[in-house]
Amino acid sequence: MTGLNRRRRLAAVAVIALAAVTAGACSSSSGDSDGGGGGAYLVWDPYPQFADDSDWVALLKKCGTSAGVTVERTGYDTTDLTNKALLAAQQGNSPDVLIVDNPVISTLAEAGALTTTEENKLDVSSMAPNLLGAGQSGGKTYGVPIGANTLALYYNKDLLTAAGVDPASVTDWTSLTSALTKVKAKGKKGITFSAIGTEEGSFQFLPWFWGSGAQLTSLDSPQAVSALTLWKDWLKQGLAPNSVINNTQTTSWQEFASGNFAFAENGTWQLANAEKLGFSYGTIAIPASAGGPAPAPTGGEFVSIPVQKKTDRYATSQKLVTCLTNADNLLTTDTTLSYVAPVTAVQDRQATENPKLKVWVEAVRAAKGRTGDNLGTKYPKISEPLWTAVQAALSGGKSPQEALTAAQASATSK
Amino acid sequence: MTTSPRRVWWKTVVGLVLTGLMLFPVYWMINVSFTRDQDMRADPPHLFPTDGTLDGYRAVLDQQLPYLGTSFLVGLGTVALTVALAAPAGYALAKLRPPGGPALSFLLLIAQMIPGIIMAMGFYAIYLTLGVLNTLPGLILADTTLAVPFAVLIFTAFMSGIPDELLQAAVVDGAGRLRTFWSVVLPVSRNSIVTVSLFAFLWSWSDFIFASTLAGGGDHQPITLGIYHYIGNNNQQWNAIMATAVVASIPAAVLLVLAQRYVSMGVTAGAVKD
Amino acid sequence: MAWGFLAPTVVYLLAFYAYPLYRNVELSLREYTVRSFVQGGAPFAGLDNYRTVLTDPAFWPTLAHTLVFTGASLVFQFTIGMALALFFRQHFPLSGTLRALILVPWLLPLIVSASTWSWLLNSDSGLVNAALGVVGIDPVNWLTSPTWSLTSVIIANVWIGIPFNLVVLYSGLQAIPVEVYEASALDGASGWQRFWSITFPLLRPVSAITLLLGLIYTLKVFDIIWIMTRGGPTGSSATLATWSYRLGFGNMLPEFGPGAAVGNLLIVMALIAGLVYIRSQRRQYQR
Repeated sequence: MTGLNRRRRLAAVAVIALAAVTAGACSSSSGDSDGGGGGAYLVWDPYPQFADDSDWVALLKKCGTSAGVTVERTGYDTTDLTNKALLAAQQGNSPDVLIVDNPVISTLAEAGALTTTEENKLDVSSMAPNLLGAGQSGGKTYGVPIGANTLALYYNKDLLTAAGVDPASVTDWTSLTSALTKVKAKGKKGITFSAIGTEEGSFQFLPWFWGSGAQLTSLDSPQAVSALTLWKDWLKQGLAPNSVINNTQTTSWQEFASGNFAFAENGTWQLANAEKLGFSYGTIAIPASAGGPAPAPTGGEFVSIPVQKKTDRYATSQKLVTCLTNADNLLTTDTTLSYVAPVTAVQDRQATENPKLKVWVEAVRAAKGRTGDNLGTKYPKISEPLWTAVQAALSGGKSPQEALTAAQASATSK
Repeated sequence: MTTSPRRVWWKTVVGLVLTGLMLFPVYWMINVSFTRDQDMRADPPHLFPTDGTLDGYRAVLDQQLPYLGTSFLVGLGTVALTVALAAPAGYALAKLRPPGGPALSFLLLIAQMIPGIIMAMGFYAIYLTLGVLNTLPGLILADTTLAVPFAVLIFTAFMSGIPDELLQAAVVDGAGRLRTFWSVVLPVSRNSIVTVSLFAFLWSWSDFIFASTLAGGGDHQPITLGIYHYIGNNNQQWNAIMATAVVASIPAAVLLVLAQRYVSMGVTAGAVKD
Repeated sequence: MAWGFLAPTVVYLLAFYAYPLYRNVELSLREYTVRSFVQGGAPFAGLDNYRTVLTDPAFWPTLAHTLVFTGASLVFQFTIGMALALFFRQHFPLSGTLRALILVPWLLPLIVSASTWSWLLNSDSGLVNAALGVVGIDPVNWLTSPTWSLTSVIIANVWIGIPFNLVVLYSGLQAIPVEVYEASALDGASGWQRFWSITFPLLRPVSAITLLLGLIYTLKVFDIIWIMTRGGPTGSSATLATWSYRLGFGNMLPEFGPGAAVGNLLIVMALIAGLVYIRSQRRQYQR
């Protein structure tokens, strides 16, 4: 019996040893593929909703043709794309052009996966500085915004009229809360937003956070506490539904679309869907605590040129990106995406072509980048404690003060 | 063991109720697939899509059919490769009891604990070197890793129940190990083969992580990636997402019911023969 | 000869599992930043990542959630699966078709089934709360209150796990020869007695492997929880698997080291379960 046992053990050891050898062999033979090869240039974007016959893909193909190459494009789910981009960079298999959500740029830049404008010779001088900020760190620029979006309050005109609220009177937190109370008195619901435990939750909380005068470097300031208290009180008084704790921005839009809510905090990208609503709607800027519009965070994607082994590819990639971000093409792209253009002149053209965009152009001009203020890769370490604090306070576990004190402690310890 | 017909029908009713309960979330998915955006979060929720829309299905039928084909090919390939690898291994572990067998079963258990995303990252590196990224065989091979350890363990558990006398009889008749395996063990194990095939198929059908990492850039994308047409970077079209799931599950559900018929027929046929 | 049958699987295991496993261990023993993940050269950190994880205030609650989630899921999946398998084993009209239909949940991509559950359990517009309202029960914040979130994800996971248990146990039941029952039926045994004295003992190898595989799959579950609650609110439904994912991939600035360390702790837990299983198997060998 013992002999059998020893033989078994020996076999196990042999299996493990073989495993180690194979593993070594696999990791040492790193790829020497040519990353696309020939005249094909790879483009990755986070727009899986655009099929091969869409305007977006047609634009990519057109830019490829004018640069004398063929474009091979892949659309990835946006959360998936960050991992995929890091993995590809690790394996030396990055695409030639990479379009990603703006806060990811600083992460990829930190990883050394992106070229700077000095290396790739992209001209970013026409871009609005507040939008370009998200793509800059340490005095270097790692990409060009392709379009911007931000948050504002959509409102249901019919409900507000019925409740006797003039949307123009909503200018600060007090007037907003009293409008919500009037709507609730009519048996309808006040406001919906997204406070989910991901970056989306921080994105939605930031206008209120910044609107209170708070800074991301100090999460537990009295101003920050007042912003979180505002949200918590809305939930407590039934002015906002409990479901916001788990709402994505799409879910909260669906709630607004049901016609039961007077206000919804949502983004530029819903404009196309807003036209399909079964009631008339309007938009106002998110008010700051003391009145006036609150700075909202900028959203939207950046076009970047990842590091390649063959540096002679940058010249063509630069032509592609320049084509994608020239004034006319930006106008087309941002119209299909329901975004605001990152260039002032194009923004003006958008506003004249579609007067409804005027509010959004102004909102984007007043908006702030999340990774700006020299936060860069510190931002993710602040944002996670922030959304955790919002969740803790709203789900009833902690008071806003306790939650934010814990958040600040966690943000500084990282 | 004789039961009156009335009693049998009573059981059918209970069976229907149980199945209905289990499938209620599936019904809800179908309901949402017909729902207009403005009714999705109606409070109280609508039990039936009274003001239904076919927008979701229109989008799906326009765009999703090629993905379904890919999913089928990948599923069938996964089943074939899984059974081919795992059945002999299960037989060896259950009946030949080689030294190191338990250690191997143990490794199979551990293998299943590696998070899918880590597996996918490993495959990405290997596939890049081999140049099989974005190919059907590549995806099939990766999807079998979801099923092979499970399959070996299941085959081992089931084949250890085959009476030794049956195998010895074959040996006495002059059959080698290979012959015994092919003409005695495999036919007797039809049930477990079907079970394993079923799961191998279902797992590859619903796999997302390998598909996204290893086939995301290619022409061969399965239906799970097709769904991502409706999950934009800011917005999701839920009726189309649910419609895709409905359209994707109908052919597979038909397959399940047919496979099921085959199993019960096979079982009774086997019983008669014994 | 035996290894001739095993060879394909062994080669396959080595080719496809060894590298990811090695990679997961290596990730957990080095101090990876995004930069060193891409550029290489992460310094060896020994067990630092494990220390970080074990001293994190979230560790013990998360471990407790993992045990509750796994335990409760296994008990309910197995019992319900067994009950359904026994029920469907009796032949009645439509039994085969209905049994096949119960597998339909398995055909759905997890993003769809998990989203459907969060749809049903939504605090305000969810059907479950609407139904509770009809019988006069106050709405429950299934997904948004720390008291209920773990229960909600367990319910969804049990639902997803039942078909697996049903199929495997049903096939196990099919393998029991009818004669055994006929013998005992003559002895006048009741249904319940028959189950405990014949079915259950004969089903032991299959039950054991079902439970073991169920344990492993449940330890690993993260997508259902991630889609339904993101492990929240405030970590109240986080398990080691979701924590590992959040650390390594669910954040803009991934922490691969600690993420892999949590993943490896899960592997150790499965290892222990595996050892227990092997021991019981060996006892059977010796018999």
